[in-house]
Amino acid sequence: MRLVMPRVLLSIMLLVATPLWAAEPRTLEWPQLIPAGAPIVQPQTAPLHDLSQLSDALAAESAPAAHQQVPNAPVVKALDGQQVKLPGYIVPLEVSEEGRTTEFLLVPYYGACIHVPPPPSNQIVHIVSEMGVRVEDLYQPYWIEGRMQVKNTSSELADAGYQMEAEKIYAYELE
Amino acid sequence: MYLLRLALASLANRRFTAFLTAFAIALSVCLLLAVERVRTEARASFASTISGTDLIVGARSGSVNLLLYSVFRIGNATNNIRWESYEHYARDKRVKWAIPISLGDSHRGYRVMGTNSSYFEHYQYGRKQNLQLAEGRAFASDPFEVVLGAEVAQALHYKLGDKLVLAHGVAAISLVKHDDKPFTVVGVLQRTGTPVDRTLHISLGGMEAIHIDWHNGVPARGAGRISAEQARNLDLTPKAITAVLLGLNNKISTFSLQREINEYRNEPLLAILPGVALQELWSLMGTAEQALFVVSLFVVLTGLIGMLTAILTSLNERRREMAILRSVGARPWHIAGLLVLEALALAVVGIAAGLGLLYLGIAIAQGYVQANYGLFLPLAWPSAHEWSLLAIILGAALLMGSVPAWRAYRQSLADGLSIHL
Repeated sequence: MRLVMPRVLLSIMLLVATPLWAAEPRTLEWPQLIPAGAPIVQPQTAPLHDLSQLSDALAAESAPAAHQQVPNAPVVKALDGQQVKLPGYIVPLEVSEEGRTTEFLLVPYYGACIHVPPPPSNQIVHIVSEMGVRVEDLYQPYWIEGRMQVKNTSSELADAGYQMEAEKIYAYELE
Repeated sequence: MYLLRLALASLANRRFTAFLTAFAIALSVCLLLAVERVRTEARASFASTISGTDLIVGARSGSVNLLLYSVFRIGNATNNIRWESYEHYARDKRVKWAIPISLGDSHRGYRVMGTNSSYFEHYQYGRKQNLQLAEGRAFASDPFEVVLGAEVAQALHYKLGDKLVLAHGVAAISLVKHDDKPFTVVGVLQRTGTPVDRTLHISLGGMEAIHIDWHNGVPARGAGRISAEQARNLDLTPKAITAVLLGLNNKISTFSLQREINEYRNEPLLAILPGVALQELWSLMGTAEQALFVVSLFVVLTGLIGMLTAILTSLNERRREMAILRSVGARPWHIAGLLVLEALALAVVGIAAGLGLLYLGIAIAQGYVQANYGLFLPLAWPSAHEWSLLAIILGAALLMGSVPAWRAYRQSLADGLSIHL
C-alpha cells in the first residue's frame, strides 16, 4: 500500500502535466512582435554614422592642423647619381609574401612624432629594394647603401624628393 | 653496416615498444611542423593580401583594427565615414586613385562589400597583381549586380546569371534577409588566395538600395517598403561608407597626407599605412606564435625523452643480449654503437612518419581550412627552415641515444661475461 500511493500520485501528476507537455510552441517570426496597428514610420533620409557634428563642436577649440611645413622642400641636385650611405628608420610600404619589406620610406626619426609636423619632403627618402629586408622592429635604425636619385620639382604635384635603389641594407649599431 | 642490421633486428624483436616510441616522436614532429607551417602561411597570406595601397582611411579607431576590418574582413567597423569626406580626398591632387569600401552585410557567411569600378582597376594583391575576372564582367550601372570571389562561386555553386539574396549582418545563418531585392551574378573573379576570394562585390548603389527602406533598424512594412524597381529610380549615392583605400602619386607625400587626414576638420578620420599596421599586427601576433612554437618544441622534447626512457629501461632486460654479443667478439664500443644506432633508427622512422602524418593531415584539411579560414596550406616540400628543425631533432635524438650507449658501454666493461642469471 505504501508503495502504491506514490505511483498513483505520480500518474495523476503526469496526467495533469501531459496537456502542457504536448502543446507545440508557437513559431514566431520577428515581424510578428510588432503590433498590426503600429504607425508606419516613413524612411528618414538623414545619414547614419554622422560624426561630423562632433568635429564641428571641437573645431572652435582646436588648433589648426599641423601641416607639413615645406611639402615641396628644395632638394640638393648635386646628390643625384651619387653612391651614398644613409642611416634611418624604415617605414614599410610594401611587404612581400616572405615577410620582407621591399619598398619603404626612410626617415630620420620614428614614433612619438605626433607632436610636431611630419618631416618635410627633403627629409624622406623613398627606397625600393629588390631583395627586401626583414623588419622585425620598427624602432631599429638601418644603414642603406645605394645610388641616390633626385627628382626636381616639376609641377605642383609635389613629386620632388629623393629616391634610392638600395643595394645594401644592414642594421645600424651604436659603436 | 652489420651494426645497423643488428640494431634493426633487435628493434624488430621489441617491435611493439619500438612502434609506440616512434609514433610518439612522429606525433610531436607532426605538431611542430604543423605549427610552423600554419605560422608561415598565415604571415604570407596576410602580407600578400594588400599591395600598392598607400593609405587606408576609416573612422577613428585603432590602426590594426582598421586594417583588419577593411582589408581582411575580420571584425566589424566601429563607425562609417561620410561620403563627402571620400569625395574630398578622392579629388585631392596628391591622390592617384581612391577605392571606396562599404561593409556590413553577408551572404551565407561570406562578406558582402560595396565598392565601385575603381576597385577592379586599382586594387592590388601579392606582388602588385591586379584583380582579374575569370568570367563575366564587373558590375555596371544596374544596382542589383554582384561579382563573386572565386571561393564563393565554387563553394556555393553559382554561375553567371544566378540570382541570390543578401542577408543583413554577418552571421553564417541569417534570419533577416534582403529577399525583396535579389542580385544577379554578372562576374566571377580569378582566385587570388586572399580574402577577396571570399567576398561578394556589389556596387555602392546596390548597398544603398538594399538598405533604403531600413532606416528604423528593421525592414520596412506596408507602405514604407520600397521595391527593387522603385529603388532603381532613386538617387543611390551613398551617404556613408566604411573605408577608403588610397593610392598616391608620390610616396613621399604619404606622411603629409596621412597627417592631414588624421586632423581633418570636417570629420574625425584615421589614415594608416598598411605596411606599418601589418608590422604592428605581427609584433602583436609574435608573442602567441612564440608561445605555440615553444609548446611544440617541448612536445618534441617529451617524445624524445620517452624514447630515452624506453631504451634505458630495456638495458637491464638486455644484459643477456649484450653478454652474448660480447661473447661472440663484440667490443664495448660495438655495444655503444648498437644503442646509438637504435636511437637514430627510432628518430628517423619517427620523423619520416611525422612528415607523412603532416602531409596526410594537410591533404585532408586543405579544403576545409581554405574555405573556413581563408588559409591555403600548400602540399609543398619542407622549407629550408623546416629541414633545419628536423636536423636539430635528429641531432637531439643522437645526443639522447648516447646516454644509454654510454651506460651500456660502462656496463659491458663491468659486467662482461660475468653476469649471474
